[in-house]
Amino acid sequence: MRDVTQRPKRSLIAATAAAAALLVIPALALQQSPEPRPAPPPAPAAPPPTEDGQWTMPSKDYSSTRYSGLDQINRDTVRRLRATVNVATGNLRGHEAAPLVVGATMFIVTPYPNDVYALDLTRPGAPVKWHFSPGPVPQSQGVACCDVVNRGGVYADGRLFFNTLDGQTIALDAASGKQVWRTQLADINKGETITMAPLVADGKVLVGNSGGEFGVRGWLAALDSGSGALVWKAYSTGPDKDVLIGPGFKPFYAMDQGKDLGVNSWPGEQWKIGGGTVWGWISYDPKLKMIYYGTGNPGPWNPHQRPGDNKWTTGVFARDVATGEARWFYQTNPHDLYDHDDINEQILLDLPVGGRVRPVLVRPSRNGFMYVIDRVTGQVYSADPYGYINSARGVDLKTGRLIPVPAKEPKEGRVVRGVCPAAPGAKDWNPSAYSPRTGLIYVPHINLCMDQGAMDANYIAGTPYVGMDVKMYAGPGGNRGVLTAWDPVRRRKAWEIREDLPLWSGALATAGDLVFYGTMDGWFKAVDATDGRLIWQVRLDSGIISQPVSYRGPDGRQYIAVMSGVGGWSGAIVSAGLDPRDPTSALGFVNAMRDLPQRSKAGGRLYVFGLPS
Amino acid sequence: MRGSRSFSLNSSPGFPGEGDRAKRGGGVLRSQRGPSTRLRLVPLPCECRGGFKRSITLLAPLLLTACDGIQSATGGDGWHGERFNSLFTLFMAVTGIAYLLVLAFLAAAVLRRRGEARYEEAGSEAPGERGITRTLIGWTAFIVAGLTILTIGSYFADRGAARAAAAPALEIRVTANQWWWDVEYVGATPQKTVRTANELHLPVGVPAHIILASNDVIHSFWIPNLAGKQDMIPGRVLDATLTPKHIGEYRGQCAEYCGIQHAHMALDVKVESRADFQRWRAAQLMPARLPATPLQKAGYTYFMSRECSACHAIAGTPASAQVAPDLTHVASRKTIAAGTLPMTRGHLYGWVADPQGPKPGNNMPYIGLEPAELHAVVAYLESLK
Amino acid sequence: MSSVSPAKLPSRAKLPSLEGRGWGSVRQRRPKLRAGKSLAALAYPPLAPPFQGGVWLALALFLTLSACDRETRDPRGKPLPETKPSADALDPRPAAYENNAFQIAQGQRYFAWMNCSGCHFHGGGGIGPPLMDGAWRYGGSIQQIADSILDGRPNGMPSFKNKITQAQAWQLAAFVRSLSAQQGKDKLWSRGDEMSNREPPTLQDREPVAPTTPEADQAKPR
Repeated sequence: MRDVTQRPKRSLIAATAAAAALLVIPALALQQSPEPRPAPPPAPAAPPPTEDGQWTMPSKDYSSTRYSGLDQINRDTVRRLRATVNVATGNLRGHEAAPLVVGATMFIVTPYPNDVYALDLTRPGAPVKWHFSPGPVPQSQGVACCDVVNRGGVYADGRLFFNTLDGQTIALDAASGKQVWRTQLADINKGETITMAPLVADGKVLVGNSGGEFGVRGWLAALDSGSGALVWKAYSTGPDKDVLIGPGFKPFYAMDQGKDLGVNSWPGEQWKIGGGTVWGWISYDPKLKMIYYGTGNPGPWNPHQRPGDNKWTTGVFARDVATGEARWFYQTNPHDLYDHDDINEQILLDLPVGGRVRPVLVRPSRNGFMYVIDRVTGQVYSADPYGYINSARGVDLKTGRLIPVPAKEPKEGRVVRGVCPAAPGAKDWNPSAYSPRTGLIYVPHINLCMDQGAMDANYIAGTPYVGMDVKMYAGPGGNRGVLTAWDPVRRRKAWEIREDLPLWSGALATAGDLVFYGTMDGWFKAVDATDGRLIWQVRLDSGIISQPVSYRGPDGRQYIAVMSGVGGWSGAIVSAGLDPRDPTSALGFVNAMRDLPQRSKAGGRLYVFGLPS
Repeated sequence: MRGSRSFSLNSSPGFPGEGDRAKRGGGVLRSQRGPSTRLRLVPLPCECRGGFKRSITLLAPLLLTACDGIQSATGGDGWHGERFNSLFTLFMAVTGIAYLLVLAFLAAAVLRRRGEARYEEAGSEAPGERGITRTLIGWTAFIVAGLTILTIGSYFADRGAARAAAAPALEIRVTANQWWWDVEYVGATPQKTVRTANELHLPVGVPAHIILASNDVIHSFWIPNLAGKQDMIPGRVLDATLTPKHIGEYRGQCAEYCGIQHAHMALDVKVESRADFQRWRAAQLMPARLPATPLQKAGYTYFMSRECSACHAIAGTPASAQVAPDLTHVASRKTIAAGTLPMTRGHLYGWVADPQGPKPGNNMPYIGLEPAELHAVVAYLESLK
Repeated sequence: MSSVSPAKLPSRAKLPSLEGRGWGSVRQRRPKLRAGKSLAALAYPPLAPPFQGGVWLALALFLTLSACDRETRDPRGKPLPETKPSADALDPRPAAYENNAFQIAQGQRYFAWMNCSGCHFHGGGGIGPPLMDGAWRYGGSIQQIADSILDGRPNGMPSFKNKITQAQAWQLAAFVRSLSAQQGKDKLWSRGDEMSNREPPTLQDREPVAPTTPEADQAKPR
């Protein structure tokens, strides 16, 4: 871990150096790496035409770069950042959402009860323009695994779309806050909830369900953005017609080919309660008209109750956005053993692979491998570990299969110790950022290992379906969090910052060559995008697990916004007041977070930082 | 002592009571004084066996009851049971001879000591020391030969068992619970997996690999007709291989005390022809029949909306719980509650109405169904053929 | 047997226990003991004349009998009423389910079977609130806990009515109370069935029962 107290002093020197370096960035880049960098860094697949200074979707753009082209705040000026807005959301659960900025309005979605606020950025202090309370059913809190979070809304065509914990998708008129439509999608009586941020692509609102710990059947639905009517719904398990697998489905690897694998790779009717939820991130390639998303863990966690590959859980789907028809699928964890949901973000890049620039998606997966997959064919070009892994030996690029380590496989009735990465993986939901200026992917992730004891889980609709006792602790090195800057071309890490607490916040990259992220004890940090040196940091009222964003305010100046409010799976010990005397609390995460209550209290505020005029 | 001939040891009299026993007719001990300590087996004349014979006649059927029928300890109906029985017979023969020889030597030593005393009195050296050396050489040779025979015998029995286990044609997971058996036939694909409870169907002549586990306490898997016991220990995966030789019905029994209803933890075993087995397996693979009559439908509704579906599973319905026996084809089974009651309408009524009656302390609770509900549930369960 | 529990008798340190001492050695040291004497008499050597023989035997017998209530069960008995018989009558259920090692153990079994442990884990909480700390949102009496289980509560606790029986709910409630060591130490479990390594409630002080709210839980120092 980098010494936080030492940082600011050192950063003075660093800043001076950085100022000089700014003039000679290409030279610095060359100096850092012995080999010359090949050509310019890979380009995102669909960069916004020009930087419009807005932030309309949590991933910033369809390629999920989370990169802002604004550069007023840079390595020189960042030390002068001051909070210009500091308002409480009135909610003390885990705030995972990204604030959205459209024109002169900022939209925030709170955790359950999922209140939406529109803030007027033209007036000092950003007063509330309108407020909307969707009133989700309180019972939904009981089927929300690991805090009642919400990962934000999305803006498109004058409307704000967001999901509620009790499984509704709601469209609001962005100007007035009036409800346009509301569609009930998930059924909490089956254990389904919705925590993800929707994506609007091709006139459709894409929404998937959560509840992988409740024996639900995962799906992704497309609603008409105008009316809220269901256009298509693709399940993650079951017969081909439910999964929208047709003649156009051409997976690259033999293991993913065959008829009705969503049934045949399960015992009996387990596929009906087999998980594969879609609660993470969706990327969209407007040229190919394809969406890319990952599916969650199979249920129950205890793998002995579901022999087989358990299709189509823990893998990546490529679908046609208009019809939902599957184009290809790649299963990262056939017969998942460790709850390694594969819902993480996919960054769409055009990357030189084997001498040719290819359309790829890059995704840091839960299982600890950084996958580079062809967007058109589904072929895996590479899978390199970016964290410590002892539960898999690698990925066989011929068959596409993960090579497991038998000694680390869970066993019924006994405890298997020292499994790395732990159930939340080497990285959980919190998204990475990609800067086309440095060509690096900034991956905020975790370094945890676990002990696992499997036992038979009993399925009762609307109650958990897990069958695993878990106890997590820090992995090798003792630091629980890492920010890794990954070079996708050279397939290796450029630099990393070790953080004591798990990193549960998203990352933001800016054209000012800064990377912003937050820690669970409330430090909001800006580091140099080229070498990871800490330049600026500020302590907020509560831990940060949300996604920082950057925008151009109505005054034409650049701002950085982030929400505080510790919680989520990692922070449930604080946001839900759990008891650390039981190391298995919150699926074992509490054991790794025993010190969090001393380091952060529950909170929930929106902060905006800007440069003083 | 099942044979028609009895033997007695020739040894010296003098043990207290020996003479009396002889008079009572237990056997005849003839004194044979002299330096010879050679063992002689003398057939007992039949007329001398009197009361002993009578008691044997009375005892024999009692002993034999354990060697016959659906739960026989002599295990003659399975390839493994038979193999290990032969091995047991071999061990009995070798160790039996050794035992008899030891007794003979003991007797000889006692006699020799007496003889020696006589020679000591006479002040001369005892003859026959050379005889002892020869006997000891013979004894050593016997031990070496006997141990070699046993080692070879157990080696082949063990290899044979391992060979049969190496290429199992059938894989079955049997998981013990208090107090029932969860039985799962592992299919070629996960989809072909059959789940049932308390009943094991085996094709004749096919080696079946049984993977044994326990969900709570230590149990022991024992189908005496087919093979020996194997413990089922929580957290450990053990196995056994069964190759039934004869078509028939047998009874397995938990052989490790596992709690209050240990005695009522039986496993019905049915060995069938391969064709019958395939038919049974295909039938078990089907989801449960849909309720047809209004009464069955009412039973279905009750089952799905009440306590039943929190513990039991019925394939093809929303009931997917896993802590109690799978009921998909419950009416096709021979017994209820792990061999406790025969599968009849009357017993089914009794069991559903009050499970704590026939099997007190078991984990199926008393629900207190109203008569109409009871009729409906039993009608539905009976339809699950 | 709440009046005389083994815990209140002279501590075991003073009374050599049966375990850890081979029978052989006992016999060796007390060769004159004749068969037929009580086992307890073998184990507890006389300290002083008034404690010799009969007194110790009586005490040992009493101790043995005190263990009888600990696991009282009656699977064949008449089911207890589902609700309190009448307003002024004494509810027989708390007495039947509380402070009984058998009922607690059955509750422990159902705690795993009915997926209680999926939300509350082994007392530390997760999706549901912690159960090992004596702080109760909806009341901590066995009756209130059984009501929470059967009827559910508005902020996520599902109703288990028609999923489990009344008796099972009361057994569960007895187990839930054992998580915060509400029963006598001799009734509590000293080792869990699960693989978690939380300290058993026998090593835990009885947590004072107090009301709480979700907000208070968040602010609680841990």
